[in-house]
Amino acid sequence: MTGQATRPQRRPDGAALVIAVMLAAVGGTFIVQGRASPDNGGYSGVGSGDAPIFVGVVLVLLAIAHVVKGLRSGPVGLPVQHLGPVGLIVGGLLLQLVLLRITGFSIASGLLFACTASAFGHRNPAISVPVGIVLAIAVYGVFDQLLRLNLPAGWLELTIFGS
Amino acid sequence: MDTFGFLAQGLATAMQPMILLYALIGVTLGTAVGVLPGIGPALTVALLLPVTYGLDPAGSLIMFAGIYYGGMYGGSTTSILLNTPGESASIVTALEGNKMARAGRGGPALATAAIGSFVAGLLATLALAFLAPFVVKLALVLGPRDYFALMMLAFITVSAAFGDSTMKGLTSLFVGLALGVVGIDGLTGQARLSFGVPQLLDGVEVTTLAVAMFAVGEALFVAAQGSAMHDKIHAIKGSVRMTREDWSRSWRPWLRGTAIGFPIGAMPAGGADIASFLSYGSEKRFARKPEEFGHGAIEGVAGPEAANNAAAAGTLVPLLTLGLPTTATAAIMLAGFQQFGLQPGPLLFVTAPTLVWGLIASLLVANVMLLVLNLPLIRLWVRLLTIPRHWLYAGILLFATLGTIGVNPSPVELSMLMIFGIMGYLMRLHAYPIAPVVVGLILGPMAEQQLRRALAISQGDWTTLVASPVSAVLLTLAFLGLVVPPLLRWRGKGDVLSKVAAAED
Amino acid sequence: MKHTLLSVALAAVCAMPAFAADYTIIAPAAPGGGWDGTARAMQTVLQQEGISGNVQVQNVPGAGGTVGLAQFASSASGDANQLIVGGYVMVGAILTNASPVSLADVTPIARLTGEAVGIAVSANSPVQTIEELVEMLKADPGSVSWAGGSAGGVDHITVGLLAKAAGVDPTLINYVAFSGGGEALAAILGNQVTVGISGVGEFLPQVEAGTMRMLAVSTAERWVGTDAPTLMESGYDVDVQNWRMVAAAPGLTEEQKAAVTADIDAMVNSASWAETLETQNWANTYLSGADFDTQLAADIEATTVVLKDIGLVQ
Repeated sequence: MTGQATRPQRRPDGAALVIAVMLAAVGGTFIVQGRASPDNGGYSGVGSGDAPIFVGVVLVLLAIAHVVKGLRSGPVGLPVQHLGPVGLIVGGLLLQLVLLRITGFSIASGLLFACTASAFGHRNPAISVPVGIVLAIAVYGVFDQLLRLNLPAGWLELTIFGS
Repeated sequence: MDTFGFLAQGLATAMQPMILLYALIGVTLGTAVGVLPGIGPALTVALLLPVTYGLDPAGSLIMFAGIYYGGMYGGSTTSILLNTPGESASIVTALEGNKMARAGRGGPALATAAIGSFVAGLLATLALAFLAPFVVKLALVLGPRDYFALMMLAFITVSAAFGDSTMKGLTSLFVGLALGVVGIDGLTGQARLSFGVPQLLDGVEVTTLAVAMFAVGEALFVAAQGSAMHDKIHAIKGSVRMTREDWSRSWRPWLRGTAIGFPIGAMPAGGADIASFLSYGSEKRFARKPEEFGHGAIEGVAGPEAANNAAAAGTLVPLLTLGLPTTATAAIMLAGFQQFGLQPGPLLFVTAPTLVWGLIASLLVANVMLLVLNLPLIRLWVRLLTIPRHWLYAGILLFATLGTIGVNPSPVELSMLMIFGIMGYLMRLHAYPIAPVVVGLILGPMAEQQLRRALAISQGDWTTLVASPVSAVLLTLAFLGLVVPPLLRWRGKGDVLSKVAAAED
Repeated sequence: MKHTLLSVALAAVCAMPAFAADYTIIAPAAPGGGWDGTARAMQTVLQQEGISGNVQVQNVPGAGGTVGLAQFASSASGDANQLIVGGYVMVGAILTNASPVSLADVTPIARLTGEAVGIAVSANSPVQTIEELVEMLKADPGSVSWAGGSAGGVDHITVGLLAKAAGVDPTLINYVAFSGGGEALAAILGNQVTVGISGVGEFLPQVEAGTMRMLAVSTAERWVGTDAPTLMESGYDVDVQNWRMVAAAPGLTEEQKAAVTADIDAMVNSASWAETLETQNWANTYLSGADFDTQLAADIEATTVVLKDIGLVQ
């Protein structure tokens, strides 16, 4: 764009506008919920709804600031994001969440381990899955058996450590 | 007998082989859990309570104290090397420490943290022994309004210190404050912003948020850069020794951190978090090269690390002399005392002097052990980063979820870990600072409650906030902190803005 | 994403239901708290005395125990091997949180331990007796600030009951909630508030050290360790005890309930339980069977009324 026009036509910073919408939505929710609070604060005069209202108002003000800034400045160049690895890690976390109660701690966490390793370029599950599960069993042994942290047990833990 | 006599007697107790063994186990475990993200000293002590039922009371309590001290040492290691605070008091350390590690100065950062922790631990433990009665009297004068003023000061110090963009810093802070509002209002029992989800009634766990933002968010961000980030992570080399300049820039922050951390730890409702935040703020102000802050200033590691160790020692003052726990770990240690039929309080110094002074003397011994454990092993910690990235991050995520699962294995808690992790990634991507979110979550509800308590006591009279000398002074300082920096910035504003505009076109 | 599919397949093959231990005790609180302590003490004694071969403790923290209670009521139904620890705080939390699950949805077995609520002032406070305090309350309710535990908890309820018994409008009490006894203690000792109200155990060390004066205790009988009068003695009809209990799953047969009750009975009467009470400084207020059911119903009734009076429950 340089040198083409005295007043270059800028496109707005889309990210800032999206963030502004999100801040305004959250802020609005806080204000509505705060106003719904029946508590008037008793002797203090500051009730349980006042902090949400205060936070909500400031969030709305920040949303306005984002809009102003987003319209003034052009789009900000971001580095290329590889969303595949991100999806793998999030998928691993979801998998652990779902499997935790069904298979117990070690298998669920071992699979999270393998998913994460694969997101960082280690793409051989034949190695990463067993490594993850063995590490998770060791963690289970130390923290559940030795330090008595209550980690969800499945058949694997019960087979290895007894019930 | 005077303090010296009691301390000598305590050292005799502390040097018994079995007691030494307990202390060694404590400090080793403490360093380990401090290093591991998401597992803090509070959780570890809680887990050990049932295990120590049958053991020697003095030995067990010394082990707990060792875990507490060790956690403060160990917490700095992951903060510096991996940008993943091991426990909440080390969040601030990550700010400068990780920048130093990225610049290949991880070694000096670890050294200044370890030596600073030692100096602070030593001085603060001695202060605990000599000043306990006086500090308690001082702390007793403070009421809710004084704590509110103190927290306002901390807010200002912290938010003025973070980020290049005020708007982004404030946005982060208020996202944290918003998260802090979620859950049952402690003063009225009203549910706020919980949308009928019972797990949200207790609000957002600080550990969950911190682990999600720092560990999960960081892992996602690094993964999303593909191979581009590969070299940056491995680029840490160079000397692990502190240079002459490092020493000369570190010793004042160590002493200042100790001076800030100890009284704050000794005051109820304080704690190592606030101490490290305040120390960071003060170092940024005192620094000879303030422009280095945010890019790996050694003062920003030395001060907060000294402050959080001093605060840990300070916490023991109200715990031992009044039976007042001021942090989660102290509260669990109180339960540990009670498990053995001991009630901490003024009477404890009379009824069980051997135990109390043995405990205090053991802290001095534990501190020496920790220095030995942490200084020569620094190279081992630095070597952590040569572990292949895929195993390292896979392991980090496993331990990050372990902390959450161990305390509360509910799907809601794990979902929060995931959602905040994604949020942490997006915030990193768009250059919003992470730490103010965590700060807002910790301090927001505390400040709100102290304000409302102060107003309830005064029956709605707002002038009560400046009616005590302590609160008046603290609020004045906070006000100056709020007004002066923007004024200074404003005078240079035109220049900066034109430069930005030029860069964009 | 081939390996992910592989992993899922592997996981599916591995999946088998986890089987239960002899007893699983749910502690509806984080590790380290009072309910967790009770659950772990039960675990130790039940195993030591050979009443149960294997006991697991599981923490389900959240919202005054109501998260754990809700999970327990839905997942443990009909399973006689599952127990949950709870207490008076839960009664209030169920009401203030409008919890869909209440104690009627589980099978309460027995009250195990209890503690009186104490009313105390700093040693240099001008208030000398509970009567003086109540006079101040009658004259100007707002001028008496009460420092105690969380809103809607046992301390708050006790203040409400006392106000009512003294003929003061409970909505007018100036109750200042603190998150922990320690924080409240500092405010009381520093004379920041008029009076403190908390578990007697919180105050006793200070009373013994001469820095605090206990004005009254909330139980029907006087409490060991203090010569403070009961509220009843002083003419206010208040009898509150902060108790802890154990409950079994809903949907049990009479035989199953009797068997669980017998196990708990054996535990409470054992030497190691007595020893645990001693070391933990817990008072034995064991009550089981129909007596406990009656007492529990009365407590729930009184709590509901006072929480409505205070205005915490609509």
